[in-house]
Amino acid sequence: MVAPIPASLPYADTKPVGHADFYFAVNATFRFIQRHHGEGALIKYWQDLGHSYYQPVSKRWSELGFAGVADYWRAFFAAEPGSEVEVSESPEEVRLEVKRCPAIRHLREHGREIVPNFCQHCFFVNEAIAGPAGMTVRVCGGNGRCTQRFMKATADLPPQNLEDIATAS
Amino acid sequence: MIGCYDFCGHYEWTFEWLNQLGGHALVRAYWDEAIHQDSQSHASMLIREKGFEGMKEYWGTTLADEGALYERTVTEDVFRIDMHECPSKGFLLRNGLEQYRDYCDHCMGWIGPLIKDAGFVVDHEHNHCGQCWWEMRRNADPAPASEPGALSGQHDVRLRPDWKSPHTDHYERSTDPDDKKAVS
Repeated sequence: MVAPIPASLPYADTKPVGHADFYFAVNATFRFIQRHHGEGALIKYWQDLGHSYYQPVSKRWSELGFAGVADYWRAFFAAEPGSEVEVSESPEEVRLEVKRCPAIRHLREHGREIVPNFCQHCFFVNEAIAGPAGMTVRVCGGNGRCTQRFMKATADLPPQNLEDIATAS
Repeated sequence: MIGCYDFCGHYEWTFEWLNQLGGHALVRAYWDEAIHQDSQSHASMLIREKGFEGMKEYWGTTLADEGALYERTVTEDVFRIDMHECPSKGFLLRNGLEQYRDYCDHCMGWIGPLIKDAGFVVDHEHNHCGQCWWEMRRNADPAPASEPGALSGQHDVRLRPDWKSPHTDHYERSTDPDDKKAVS
């Protein structure tokens, strides 16, 4: 039987939550691309993934605005095992308070070596999703806990400082 | 964030991204280095150390966790899987996701080198519709693949009325993802 999936997720599985061991492959994929083609290629991978694979998410955010952003993240983290995340919405932004990142938690629990710039993927992927919807994201923290703010893209907003994103370990 | 819920979708997308970047050699290297040697290092260790028992431990757990509908048949000489509903390919088919030319190749892409390192060979077929079968034997065992129904009886995926597809790939005593023949 197919589990009921919120319409705010672009792709539906038959299980209500994903299999956490797949975080091993996500981490290994980052390491592989960086080892073979460097950090620039890894950033391009994240940006291309956001623009292409997650294009349905961009479209939904364009149509629904912040309400669509908040709905997406609530549904997203409900399907990620072991996550603890608060999603709040105001007229200015959608804010994610990630109290426990499911990926970092699972990788640590299994003694996996985490790619140091693992947490940067949240900025680069999410920025690529948000851009076509006229939004931008700022990430602060990482390595298991972080804050992600989705805002309208304006010229006066300072760019993301990558030093605000913690090294993962 | 890149999640695990829809992992099979962005995993399949990644194959084509790598293919565009570095061609088939890079995709093969990804399956071996990133998946076999890194992500699935726990599977490698289990199967290298315990052989058929390790296969039972690894696939018994992971296929259940992924929600597969499958049958396992194990004797002293062979470990067989009949996959009736592949959760991974099923996800792609249900969601209409197809970037890479043959997603199913990834299994032989990482399992093949793993099995080779552990001293086994594989007979395998997949029909690109979410069904496949695998038989792992020790490298020194010259026995051919079983006839349909001979090893797993009524659970043999080849006995399904929908097994035949226009595009079925066949591997014989192989450990290499490119060592396949199309059968009809």
